[in-house]
Amino acid sequence: MNKYLKEFLHRGLMFGGFGPIIAGIVFAILGATLEDFHIDGWQILLAIVSIYILAFVQAGASVFNQVEHWGVARSLLCHFVTVYLAYSLCYVANSWIPFEPMVLVIFTAIFVVAYFVIWITVYLAVRATEKKLNKNLRRL
Amino acid sequence: MKYKIVVDESLDELIIYTPRKNELTDRIEELISNEESELLGYAGSSAVKLEPKDVSCFYVEDGRVFARCDGNKYAVKERLYHFEQRFPLSFVKINQSCIVNVDSIKRFEASIGGALMVTLADGYRDYVSRRQLKSVKKRIGF
Repeated sequence: MNKYLKEFLHRGLMFGGFGPIIAGIVFAILGATLEDFHIDGWQILLAIVSIYILAFVQAGASVFNQVEHWGVARSLLCHFVTVYLAYSLCYVANSWIPFEPMVLVIFTAIFVVAYFVIWITVYLAVRATEKKLNKNLRRL
Repeated sequence: MKYKIVVDESLDELIIYTPRKNELTDRIEELISNEESELLGYAGSSAVKLEPKDVSCFYVEDGRVFARCDGNKYAVKERLYHFEQRFPLSFVKINQSCIVNVDSIKRFEASIGGALMVTLADGYRDYVSRRQLKSVKKRIGF
């Protein structure tokens, strides 16, 4: 099996389990704060499976950035498209957003902005660590 | 640090007197331990004696452990954790599948995905997992 696919599955399986826990916490908060909150068994099952898939894909997709023979643009694009598809499909399947063109455009815009803000924040933090480590490495 | 080496041919063991244990004494212990046990690498049907100081990293590939030495790859029989325990000062674990020789680290590099990559002097590259970042920082002197 391709080592990157293996790593994708490994990371996905390691972190996928956190998804249902997050779903449980969200439902608990909604149940505690909304008076008329109710959800049937089918919706719970769909939400748990969806969030498991989201956590699986989110963790696994990080491997795209480590495929050495891929350039920056390809890695970033594959990561973005994979995560975006997983989120948008799960949101629509669970009716967390209505399947309407305008809503999908707004969702996509918010997703793009949030994705790049998080990406830049993480990248700058790692760059700072990189500089400190290299500085200390020269002193060794 | 002041030190004196006294050669006494009547002794059959090495005795070191020191006011306290420190990194230097730990390194001496590691050096003696390495002298006493051989490290064998296998390339095809031939076995090669490897010098731990020349090994840039030990890593797992397809369930087997390999050592990189002078740009070559040798299979080794021991498990990865064994080397981690055997060379606690000269090697550092960077992720669950790789431990690297600190002296072989050429540079750290931020990857576009937010991971920290390590490039070794022989060109080998691997990432530092978030779990191991703390111990890598400590080893590099944070």
